[in-house]
Amino acid sequence: MRKIIYISALVGLIVSYGFTTIQTADNCDKKALSEACKKKLEDYKYDSQKYSKINFTDRNVQMEVELPVFIGEKYRLIFNTSSLPKPILITVYSKSKESTKRVPIYTTKDAAAGTTEFVFDAPRVRNMYIDYDVPKEDKDKLSGCVIFMVGYK
Amino acid sequence: MFTRKKMLVVKSVLFVASAVFMVSCGNNEAAKEETDSKSVVKEDTTATAEVPETSYSLPSPLQIASIFKKSGLKYKSDLTSQMRDPSKYTSSLSKSLNLGVYSGDLSYCVMNKQSQEAMKYMKLCRSLADNLGMGSVFEEANLSKRFEKNLENEDSLAYIIAELQMVTDMYLDENDQQQITSIVFAGAWIESMYIGSKVYEKGKDKSLNNKLAEQMNILGSIINALKAVEKKEATIASLITDLKSIKDIYDALPSIKNAVDAADSDKPMSLTDDEVASLTKRISELRTKFVNGN
Repeated sequence: MRKIIYISALVGLIVSYGFTTIQTADNCDKKALSEACKKKLEDYKYDSQKYSKINFTDRNVQMEVELPVFIGEKYRLIFNTSSLPKPILITVYSKSKESTKRVPIYTTKDAAAGTTEFVFDAPRVRNMYIDYDVPKEDKDKLSGCVIFMVGYK
Repeated sequence: MFTRKKMLVVKSVLFVASAVFMVSCGNNEAAKEETDSKSVVKEDTTATAEVPETSYSLPSPLQIASIFKKSGLKYKSDLTSQMRDPSKYTSSLSKSLNLGVYSGDLSYCVMNKQSQEAMKYMKLCRSLADNLGMGSVFEEANLSKRFEKNLENEDSLAYIIAELQMVTDMYLDENDQQQITSIVFAGAWIESMYIGSKVYEKGKDKSLNNKLAEQMNILGSIINALKAVEKKEATIASLITDLKSIKDIYDALPSIKNAVDAADSDKPMSLTDDEVASLTKRISELRTKFVNGN
């Protein structure tokens, strides 16, 4: 009887651990997100991609990804936010935060509500800085992920 | 007897409950720490006073080869890395670096229609990827077989390599091995710069000079990307030191010191022949070190 109880406890522990892990995962199907972005590349060649885990907390958060690019190349950036429980603001700059001449070259600010795929054909720049502004969430602890894929030609 | 059994059940339940509690607390802490390390919390999204910690997305070896090709870089068979037995590389760092070196050679061969050589480098890449435990990426969408079938079609090969890069990026991300992505790219970058600078030595082509200077701009991003994953692999520190030695030479070059906002300018940059030679010397030393597995 004691053995059965211990085995039950052990099984319970394993199941509970697995359940807890799944619960705290970001619930992102990365492969599906990549495939969705790839379709939007069209005649651009794949160059790179970057997933970012997004946690909505009780405070506003900003994240930045630096993307070095080369003069003379044509770039397409594809963002997919379909794995996020609520929208975030995406802004792309050509200069770093230290630059006094920093202005956005792309923003999702005016995108139609519910849009989760964004395609940006970049102008001639040497660097791109992608900022994610994550709004605060007071009630629930939410999380998800955002991906961007880069193509060039 | 019943009481004893009951006590045992209660103990077991308490044990499981406390274990679950600890696991969930641990995960929350980890999640919290991850958030804290990657981002900066600010009270107002419109405020820009605080600078967020930055992550990096590096380009692919194929793009570097493509850029050099567009600048007129010719194929020289004696410049690519000697094909060595991949088992010679024993550490994770040397395996990853040389996977990058061979990826750079593979891209250079493909961009210059050297299909048979490309096939050899493809096999070496596969072997090193196997050693790193990621050989399965070559099986994805029949990439290896498609590569062999399209050996005479440069465009198709380039798209297959781009797809291989995508599958590799996904694999490494899924397995939380992003540090390998950065190390592989560092190896590919060194190899591409070695080939580019050696070809420049002979031809002194101005367009190639501009591209070599432009490539130096991303070295800072490579170093920062490696710093961001340094905690995952202790040996990355030595690679950072090596790459920084090139950047120190570059930053001290008169053409760079005298250029205003060189990193932000969209005008082509040029280096003198002596300046390229000093960079070439250090790049060659490091390339030798990497391919020798040191």
